[in-house]
Amino acid sequence: MNLIRFAFNNLYRRPARTILTLSAISFGIAAIVALTAIAWGFEASWQKANDARGTDLIVTRLASQNSMPSPFSAEKVQHDLLMIPHVNQAVGLLSEMLSVSYDSPPLFVFGWELPSYLWQHLQLLEGRWPQTRDEQAVMIGALAKELLHKSIGDTIEIEGFSYPVIGVFQSSALVENGAILMSLTQMQHTVDKEGKVNVLNLQVDADLAVKEIEQIKKTINNTFKGFMAITSGELVSQNAIVRISKAMSNATILIASLVGALIVFNTMLMSISERTREIGLLLALGWHPRTIMKLIISESAILSLAGGMLGMILGIALTYGLEHLELMRGKIDAIVSPAFLLAVLGLSIILGVLGGLYPALKAARTQPSHALRQE
Amino acid sequence: MSLISTSSPSSKTLPILRGQHLHLWFDHEKTKALDDMNYAISENEFVAITGPSGCGKSSLLNLLGTLEIPTGGTLFFRNQNYHDIQDLALFRRQHIGFIFQSFHLIPTLSALDNILVPTLGNSQQKKDVTERALDLLNMLNLGGRSNHFPSQLSGGERQRVAIARALINQPDILLADEPTGSLDSINAQQVLDILCEIKQQQSLTIVMVTHDPAVALRADREVRMRDGKALDMTQVLT
Repeated sequence: MNLIRFAFNNLYRRPARTILTLSAISFGIAAIVALTAIAWGFEASWQKANDARGTDLIVTRLASQNSMPSPFSAEKVQHDLLMIPHVNQAVGLLSEMLSVSYDSPPLFVFGWELPSYLWQHLQLLEGRWPQTRDEQAVMIGALAKELLHKSIGDTIEIEGFSYPVIGVFQSSALVENGAILMSLTQMQHTVDKEGKVNVLNLQVDADLAVKEIEQIKKTINNTFKGFMAITSGELVSQNAIVRISKAMSNATILIASLVGALIVFNTMLMSISERTREIGLLLALGWHPRTIMKLIISESAILSLAGGMLGMILGIALTYGLEHLELMRGKIDAIVSPAFLLAVLGLSIILGVLGGLYPALKAARTQPSHALRQE
Repeated sequence: MSLISTSSPSSKTLPILRGQHLHLWFDHEKTKALDDMNYAISENEFVAITGPSGCGKSSLLNLLGTLEIPTGGTLFFRNQNYHDIQDLALFRRQHIGFIFQSFHLIPTLSALDNILVPTLGNSQQKKDVTERALDLLNMLNLGGRSNHFPSQLSGGERQRVAIARALINQPDILLADEPTGSLDSINAQQVLDILCEIKQQQSLTIVMVTHDPAVALRADREVRMRDGKALDMTQVLT
């Protein structure tokens, strides 16, 4: 028999309340785990896609923070960018999220300049690549194939145009696997944005140091009015959807933590008020008020730790479920890292200790003689 | 003022508990639980405190057990003024054992674990206290009941578990508040026999509150109280 076992025993004595509290905490923690994993995963998916393409710098409209940077006329900017020393490629990309049929979720449709280095990281699984920029055809990612139930030879309706599927590709980036890909020229025509791109992907000399790339970035930022050059990481972190999802996950952490702490607080307060006589007895038996505090805080910490662990499991399951929702598939590569789970457990313990602090103090201040008289 | 002398069988020894001009008031002096009470209790004495309900018996017991702070007057443990005790919880753990009328056992703990409750949070060796608890269970004829829960024990057995719990920290003083109040006459006699026996064996001082004159007769001395004062002292020869 020790204090922790006694604390467990006290929780076991009131199973209904313990289960209710555990459930409430675990739902809160599950929401934190799922939303954070999705927010981080969303950012990481885009980061991965940009990295896989081998892009060193991205040029977009200045402070363009939409989910997709605002389209702009590429020709002159592209020409001027290629004049900068060490810049080898300036490749246009136009992308939008579009519904391709009534019964399928919206998908990313990418238009990449053809030929360009952007295509090189893709692996052809079936069929062939488009031959020319004017070929009216699309490639689909392996996941998009699954989502759309399309095979080579089938046609896909995009914005009123019919495109035959000529190939299936595999990418290391989930967002590309779940996307439809065509030449930039075809994409501009499809969405009626002739000559326009969202971003220009720059590739510089392979042997260039990070410092020198930084210098090129500065040059572009200083000389190209209305445009900015950023790294792929910066583009992703400035993306409106990434920022909103991160803000939502932060708000969830804050609200769930507050609610969690209040639930623990309420449970422990009820628990000590029901156990007033017992606390008086423990004090009469020679327990130090400090030991009473330790007991109550142990109980609340056990509750929240167990709730946290349950919540983690629930959260992982919820994340998995959300990732595989028809609407979300191919867009999110959720990240649930061990370090994050450890931090969530730490947060649970902190919530428990904070929620149990006042009830513990109140219990420690119990007047034993008064408490023992209580019925 | 009523001053109770120590002319008891143990009068040659120093008082272990002494109170002078004790007052205990509640509700802004509206209720006077103790009113200029004086007492002296010797080492290894068994004192019964009797009197009608509300006369201040339990209040006196609470003062002796440091569960209440007197409104006025002075209490001594041996020669130490209660006022000078820095850590009352430690004092209770080292010197006082409590027994209550309704046992106050924790229903979800076994008899053995209930006995160990006062030792939780202490730095005592777990093995030592467990051995002591098992010895106490054997001494109180509860050897086979160590894993039983309170609901599986009779009233007499529960009170014996409570006595073992009171003795686990080897106190000098046992404070018993109506220890036989919830028991039938046979179990009540058994509990009183145990109290007399452990008083002798462990040189304990016992202060017992009771309203039953027959129970009070088992003590060395009876202190009768009324309206927060001690009326007289009846010496009960053992």
